[in-house]
Amino acid sequence: MVFIYVQELARFLFGLKCFHFDLASIAIIEEDEQKIVVKLKGIQLEYANALRRMCLNGIPVFAVDDVVIIENSSVFADEALAHRLSMIPLKTDLSRFVEPSKCDCHSDTGCSNCRVLLMIDSGPPDTTRLVTSAELTSEDEIVKPVSDKIPIIELAPGQKLKLEAYARLGRGTEHAKWNASNVSVLTETDKEDEHILTIESSGCLEPSQIVLSGINELANRIDDFKQIIAAL
Amino acid sequence: MTKVVTERWPIIYDILKREGIARQHLNSYDDFLERGLQSIIDEVAQIDIENAEYPYKIQLGKLKLQQPRIMELDGSITHIAPREARLRNVSYSSPIMLEASVVEDGKILESRFIHVGDMPVMVRSNACVLRSFSEQKLVENGEDPNDPGGYFVINGSERVIVGLEDLSYNKIIVDKETVGGNIVFKAKVYSSIVGYRAKLELVMKHDGLIVSRIPGSPVDIPVITLMRALGLESDKEIAIAVSPVDTIQDELEASFEKSGEVPTSKDSIVYISKRIAPGMLEEFQIKRAETLLDWGLLPHLGKNQDNRKEKSQFLGEAACKLIELKLGWVNPDDKDHYGNKVIKFAGQMLADLFRTAFRNLVRDMKYQLERSGQKRGINAVAAAIRPGIVTDKLNNALATGNWGRGRVGVTQLLDRTNYLSTISHLRRVQSPLSRTQPNFEARDLHPTHFGRICPSETPEGSNCGLVKNLALSAIISVNASSEEIIEKLYDLGVTYFLDAKIELKRDGTRVFVDGKLIGYAKDGQKLAESLRELRRHSKIHPHVGISMHQPNIKGATKRLYVNCNAGRVLRPLIITKDNKSLLTQDLVEKVKKRFLSWSDLIRTGIIELIDANEEENCYIAIDQEKIKKHTHMEVFSSAILGAGASIIPYPEHNQSPRNTYQSAMAKQSLGFSTPLMNTSTYVRQHLMLYPQVPIVTTKAMGLLGLEERPAGQNCVVAVLPFDGYNIEDAIVLSKSSVERGLGRTFFYRIYEAEAKQYPGGMRDKFEIPNAEENIRGFKGEKVYRLLEEDGVIAAESNVRGGDILIGKTSPPRFMEEYKEFEIKGPYRRDTSVGMRPSESGVIDTVVMTQSHEGGRMYKVRVRDMRLPEIGDKFASRHGQKGVLGLLANNEDLPYTSEGIVPDVLINPHAFPSRMTVGMFMESITGKAAAMRGTQFDGSAFVGEKIDAVKEVLGSAGFKYSGKEIMYDGRTGRTFPAEVFVGLVYYQKLHHMVADKIHARARGQVQMLTKQPTEGRARGGGLRFGEMERDCLIAYGASMILKDRLLEESDKTEIYVCERCGLVAYHDMKQRKFVCRVCGDKARVSSISIAYAFKLLLQEMMSLNIAPRLLIKERV
Repeated sequence: MVFIYVQELARFLFGLKCFHFDLASIAIIEEDEQKIVVKLKGIQLEYANALRRMCLNGIPVFAVDDVVIIENSSVFADEALAHRLSMIPLKTDLSRFVEPSKCDCHSDTGCSNCRVLLMIDSGPPDTTRLVTSAELTSEDEIVKPVSDKIPIIELAPGQKLKLEAYARLGRGTEHAKWNASNVSVLTETDKEDEHILTIESSGCLEPSQIVLSGINELANRIDDFKQIIAAL
Repeated sequence: MTKVVTERWPIIYDILKREGIARQHLNSYDDFLERGLQSIIDEVAQIDIENAEYPYKIQLGKLKLQQPRIMELDGSITHIAPREARLRNVSYSSPIMLEASVVEDGKILESRFIHVGDMPVMVRSNACVLRSFSEQKLVENGEDPNDPGGYFVINGSERVIVGLEDLSYNKIIVDKETVGGNIVFKAKVYSSIVGYRAKLELVMKHDGLIVSRIPGSPVDIPVITLMRALGLESDKEIAIAVSPVDTIQDELEASFEKSGEVPTSKDSIVYISKRIAPGMLEEFQIKRAETLLDWGLLPHLGKNQDNRKEKSQFLGEAACKLIELKLGWVNPDDKDHYGNKVIKFAGQMLADLFRTAFRNLVRDMKYQLERSGQKRGINAVAAAIRPGIVTDKLNNALATGNWGRGRVGVTQLLDRTNYLSTISHLRRVQSPLSRTQPNFEARDLHPTHFGRICPSETPEGSNCGLVKNLALSAIISVNASSEEIIEKLYDLGVTYFLDAKIELKRDGTRVFVDGKLIGYAKDGQKLAESLRELRRHSKIHPHVGISMHQPNIKGATKRLYVNCNAGRVLRPLIITKDNKSLLTQDLVEKVKKRFLSWSDLIRTGIIELIDANEEENCYIAIDQEKIKKHTHMEVFSSAILGAGASIIPYPEHNQSPRNTYQSAMAKQSLGFSTPLMNTSTYVRQHLMLYPQVPIVTTKAMGLLGLEERPAGQNCVVAVLPFDGYNIEDAIVLSKSSVERGLGRTFFYRIYEAEAKQYPGGMRDKFEIPNAEENIRGFKGEKVYRLLEEDGVIAAESNVRGGDILIGKTSPPRFMEEYKEFEIKGPYRRDTSVGMRPSESGVIDTVVMTQSHEGGRMYKVRVRDMRLPEIGDKFASRHGQKGVLGLLANNEDLPYTSEGIVPDVLINPHAFPSRMTVGMFMESITGKAAAMRGTQFDGSAFVGEKIDAVKEVLGSAGFKYSGKEIMYDGRTGRTFPAEVFVGLVYYQKLHHMVADKIHARARGQVQMLTKQPTEGRARGGGLRFGEMERDCLIAYGASMILKDRLLEESDKTEIYVCERCGLVAYHDMKQRKFVCRVCGDKARVSSISIAYAFKLLLQEMMSLNIAPRLLIKERV
């Protein structure tokens, strides 16, 4: 695993030609399901920070974007409910899905490549009960709430909730619901051009994947930028 | 040490939890229903029907109040609860049933309970149906169990009678005045009985003569003459009634000299009668004088001849106090001393109103019965009573706040912006003083306000210091029985003043009950003490105030005042004995566990309620350790603040005006104002989606229920400039935080329409107006598109400005407009109710009900989700308000090494000049609280000590200063200085850009002046005012000036006759210009002027002025 990162990063770094070649390296200091800490060596602060920003909200992840409310007799207004749903982090599979803007379907509703349907049908409760993210069932096996314990709404007897929610890929720059990580921090060390990047995932992606995708995204954007410069 | 102080909090908690925060309103109203109403009726007691053939009497008996109800149009009766009144726009009131009997020759023939009018019912009072409801039952009835009550529901809207400050009644107040360079001494009394007030004034001029000014007399009457007229014949009697002390009697010389001409009582009455009714028959004059003495003079002492002795005694006392003032033995009374004030609440205010209304009813009934002649018996009486007189008077007064005699604004619409604003509104006190006059002293904070009136919570500007708010510890006294007290006093050895020997009169203490001299006591101090002892053993009412006044001057009169009246502001104090407080830790624990209530502590003489007068006799320790010779100890220091100031954490560390600003601002914050949003019928209402309980709280917040009804959110706040986007009190919010729900509120507005019936059988109709049906004011198909078959919009539809919510058509306004031979039938008007032009939203609720007039009524509620946007107003709890200047991108925001990104960035310049240190303390306390995962207490004076907070921070790995190293999100570099970050509770205030944004290019004009309309709701223009005009003149930009004031405003063309200079016109039929003055010789030209100028010309012409315009060709 570590090897792959270093390779990836090296590829990206070499492509940039603005680093101290010999010094550029990356090392994982700490890693678990939620958090990754990496040491960036020989990378200028500007690029390191660009990577931090990318990891924060530059990577596409899934979030509920469109909600069709079939029945909502709860105390919450439809808009408020939709907002709550959008805040639920969804496990994201970047390999099978593309962002709607890059999808070949070019439709407003989207297709199986660019959206995932999730549903809630509370049924009429007999007692006051809490509807959690466990009831937000997905048509996809992977794209579903990262936790079953996220409270959505409490229903009283006689109240009912039935809705369809469409999740799409998007970026945190557009809306915070698409933030890939909750914490993305770049700190200094004593040495020059050595930085520690700490990423805490929102749960949508593996922390390591966030870093990886961040690097890719940054590389692509720099490529794009180079082309624009060249075209001038 | 702090521990000792805070542990007495349960006492304050118990008082307010048990009594509720609107107790003063409820007590006052309940007392009025129980006793005031009956006493007003008893005053009338009997009505003589002076009928020539069958004179008889109507005797008024007991009064009963029935259950609140409304009478439907068909005459059926519906019992209602407040919810239904609010929903259906009706008044929540109960019928007053009065027992009336027909009496002939002293025998009761028939009697019956008759409906004499409806009494508006105060919510949660004894007359309210909710009174006995359990919490569960309240919820089932659509009521908030936490609602304090204390207001009325009139025509569906909630009205509060705010407390009205007034000078104490029946109390002699002496004062020094300078009139034309001479010092004049005055003694004033407002003699008052239920619903009636008469002012008496004694004046001592520079020549030493004391005269009295009484209502009903156009001239001053020497006080000696007045006393003599009241039955004191000899000079000696009079002198002793004033005072047996020689020094005082000497001062009466001038007065005695002057009144030497009228030596007897009879002469005195004649003397008075000549002056009050000059030019009348002597017989009448005497009668007038007698009535004046019995009715107009000091009515609180009684209205009978037997009361004259007491009245003369009272006058003597007033003269005595006046002379003592002149001698410098007593100081002028302080009008701003809270002991000289009472607060009138709903009961007293309603008593005034009901008295006049009931008298009108009686007069009307009498007139009708005397006119009807033959018909008699109880049924005729019942038929002659028009309950509408009372009902309408009370209803109108409460609905408009017009109390008659020029008193306006007595009632106000209950503030429901958030829960705190409701509470604060119910604890408000108004001063009757004019807000246009300076009244500097009256506006100042007075030492006697301590523990009674909040030192911080008052508005700024014209009402500053005149509108006050009750402190948490304040308790308003209720009426106690003065007869009982008087009896007790005689038992304790007080001698009736007529029986008192001269020595006792000279050396003893005068004893007053409610301003009335009842006798003399040998040792006043001892009497006061034993009376207090009785109160502490609950032998007399705990609200009785006992204050002893004993000047240190030989010969000066000693006075003991005992007050039983309602409306005095009391505060609880702990009694100390042998330098120890009687309130033991054990007792506090019991109160805390609710084994004991605060009234048990009152009953057992551990706590007592002290009014401002009695407090002058007390020596009060702040704390247990400090007790030396103290008589009392404070209960709890934070309770000196009112509701508004109680939510500020660490207020004692703020500059004092900041607390005042915050007290006003908290009432504008949006939050969770009611859990009953589904049935709420307030025209405008806000609801915060994710309100939070503050992490740094105060004790009072928990007590007042503000933690169940919060209004704000805890934010991570960094004190840091951000690219200039938070300059000048702007704040920067994290865009991500806003997207996650920070500051997200809903705005609800209710639109309503009612189908009215008109004379002639026509009525309004709910329908979709049809273009083909000859409807005037048809607005075009588009705006009606959302209406359903019944003419009303469907729930959950999206609506925008101008869309019709309720389709309604009405018959023509004037019938004569309809001509029989017209081809078209009668037209109808489109009176549909549409969205406000600048608002949009989603239809939340549609309610259909029946109005009081029997017509169908719809209420449509529209909701609009409001995300914070640039320009919205936010504030912390320290008077630190600001508008949103930027929604900063998440990646650009600074972060700490732990990854904490602030929600709010506030500019450091907000602090040095304002000195809101409390906000810093809240910030670091909040941070410590977050580390501990609990709420921390920031109550005034007793909040978590900052050293303890620092320790928590230190152990959590933070710097004790609250500062942290932060990285700039844009560059990744650390900031050169450490940044102060912490948790601060922020409030979203209800001033939002969405409600204010406005611009106009072209648009509506006014009908009269043809100038652009004013105001956003009418799509108005922005005024180019005088000062703006001055700028252009100064600059010499005449073309712009003309453009603004003429071309883009009300330019018109008129025709003017050059020969006479008057306005001419163009006759379309003759195709020529006509000047009615010059006829054929007219030379008419057209000119461009402002339409307002044309109006001016015409208005002048209507005043018989001929304004001639001398015009010539423009060069």
